[in-house]
Amino acid sequence: MSTGSTNSSGTLAQGAPRRAAFVASARRRPIAAVRLVVLAGLAVLALTTPGFLSEPSILALLTTVSFIGCVAVGMTLITVSGNIMSFSLGALVGATAMIFIVSVNFGGVVFGFVAALAFGALANAAQGAVIGLVRANPIIVSIAATALITGVAEAFAEHGTIYVAAGTTYGVFRGKIGGLPVEFLVLLCAAAAGQFILTCTNFGRNVYMLGASFAAAEVVGIKTWRTVTGAYLWAGFFAAFAGILLAIRYDAASMSYGSGYEYDAVAAVLVGGTAIKGGEGSVLRTLVGAIVIAVVQSVLLLQGFRPEWQYLIAGIIVLAMVALQSPGMRE
Amino acid sequence: MTRIGNALRNDPHLRPLAILLGCIVLLAIADWGRGEVLRVATVVTTLETFGTIGLVALGLGLTMMIREFDISVVGMFSMAGCIAVLTGAHNPWLGLACAMAAGLVGGLVQGVIIVRLRLGSIGVTLGGLLVFAGVAYVVSENRTLPYDNLQVALAMGNRIAGIFSIRSVVALAIFVAAALVIGVTRIGRDMIATGNDRRAAMTAGVNVNALIVGIFGFSGMMAALSGAMLSFSLASASPSGLSDVIVPAAAAAILGGVSLAGGTGRPLGIALGVLTLGVIHAGLNAIGVPPYVDEVTMGAILLVVAIADGPYLMRRVRGIARARRQST
Repeated sequence: MSTGSTNSSGTLAQGAPRRAAFVASARRRPIAAVRLVVLAGLAVLALTTPGFLSEPSILALLTTVSFIGCVAVGMTLITVSGNIMSFSLGALVGATAMIFIVSVNFGGVVFGFVAALAFGALANAAQGAVIGLVRANPIIVSIAATALITGVAEAFAEHGTIYVAAGTTYGVFRGKIGGLPVEFLVLLCAAAAGQFILTCTNFGRNVYMLGASFAAAEVVGIKTWRTVTGAYLWAGFFAAFAGILLAIRYDAASMSYGSGYEYDAVAAVLVGGTAIKGGEGSVLRTLVGAIVIAVVQSVLLLQGFRPEWQYLIAGIIVLAMVALQSPGMRE
Repeated sequence: MTRIGNALRNDPHLRPLAILLGCIVLLAIADWGRGEVLRVATVVTTLETFGTIGLVALGLGLTMMIREFDISVVGMFSMAGCIAVLTGAHNPWLGLACAMAAGLVGGLVQGVIIVRLRLGSIGVTLGGLLVFAGVAYVVSENRTLPYDNLQVALAMGNRIAGIFSIRSVVALAIFVAAALVIGVTRIGRDMIATGNDRRAAMTAGVNVNALIVGIFGFSGMMAALSGAMLSFSLASASPSGLSDVIVPAAAAAILGGVSLAGGTGRPLGIALGVLTLGVIHAGLNAIGVPPYVDEVTMGAILLVVAIADGPYLMRRVRGIARARRQST
């Protein structure tokens, strides 16, 4: 839907000079041109696919985007801070969902929210602290954290699903507001908050600087470990929303809920055009990336491809996006 | 005392060996004389683990030696399993060949992309991982593929000399070959030079690009070989279960003395690292702890070695010591 608007009549009607400038800048930067062509092609494909604009299709698309999007917003902070990606966010989503259900059963919905968000933020901040303090390899730490989170969750739930107590109501968090699923509104809020943190705060500027050059950030006196810990803290906080939303949607939680989300999230980050080496990118780009992937998957399904193909296509898109970030391509 | 300390620090094999022996002693103590740990079954389980993750750890470890990181081994592992089961229904050798060819080509392509486009290996292999996993999902149509050639599965389960199986013998043979190639030939020295200082290695005449492409090809092929052999011995293959192999493989490589900073580590060290994890896994099983303890232990070990490998560790320790001195 959102990609559909990029080439709708609205943009074409806006005077020629602006368009010329856009085309010229696209010529200067081949990546931007490629991106524009791909987006336009995708929009045409989506709009000509029968059934794409039907309400159930759009609603399903927005809901899927919301879960992965929240994780992707968090992943953006990690990627921009120069730590590539975290493999543990998927496991964190599952664990957060479980914590949420347990705490809702124990102390009510508000307590559940506080406990789940605190858990997500702190569990991830702990990883950030390890990475920031001794500069341990972020990939290895996140792989280790995945095993730890999964193992501990297994110890408590024994591979099972836990259910919410009967009669629990979540008020506004179910259903639609103004025709949009609540999940999508939560994602928009999370994206807005993430973008605000990155662009409007000192902390956000430090994150960009750290990602661009660790040595430079250290020389100018940034407490690098605090910035890294903060980036992971916020990443866990945003990812926790995905866990909570999933738990509310299904009235239950298990570790399988978040499985694979880390890959989907980093795919959204990369497709949005955030540099994998850090220091560059934005949450809004990630939002676009998540929507693009979801549109591609929806179109594939509607065109009659088996669902497995979406994994392969997503992988090829990510590989292509990484290849486009080559220093040679930019020249 | 300092001589032992220096030896532990400098010899590439002594530290992994010490860790391995320490783990065996600890497990024997935890067993507390019940005789569950120190028996042949433990050795057999350890070697089976060696057959599963050994070659993945070797491939991953060699990419780490030249200061790269091949995450795609995870996807390659499951893709190769699916390919081997699908193409090897009548002739297991054909299945094995197809899987290994896919692994080699996949690894080489990633290596060429890394070298030609001057990209970081983690980004490229992340894309590779997703592509390989996608291929696994597509060819298997997202279900568990049964392997009907049960004779092969039985043969894979046969004991050789009481404790080995085909998988562990193959893994051991490849480790020995890799150790010889790296210890004796120029390739080994070129790898160490590349891992230590890429520019210096290039200046000294090392064909760094060819080396990187070759190692990624090797890594892909090894992941494919172990994935295919595991699928044969389980008589099934499935596209999911992505993260099961990367945790022990990465932990084994780092335990084996490979540093993420590059230039350190040897195949025999990696072998000792794999054996350490195998012993822990088998020992915990023998003691009879629930399976999640195994997973938590693997995670904790990987976390500890990641911290120990952190370049700022000594700086932080010194900082704490200084703060303590000043306060007293």
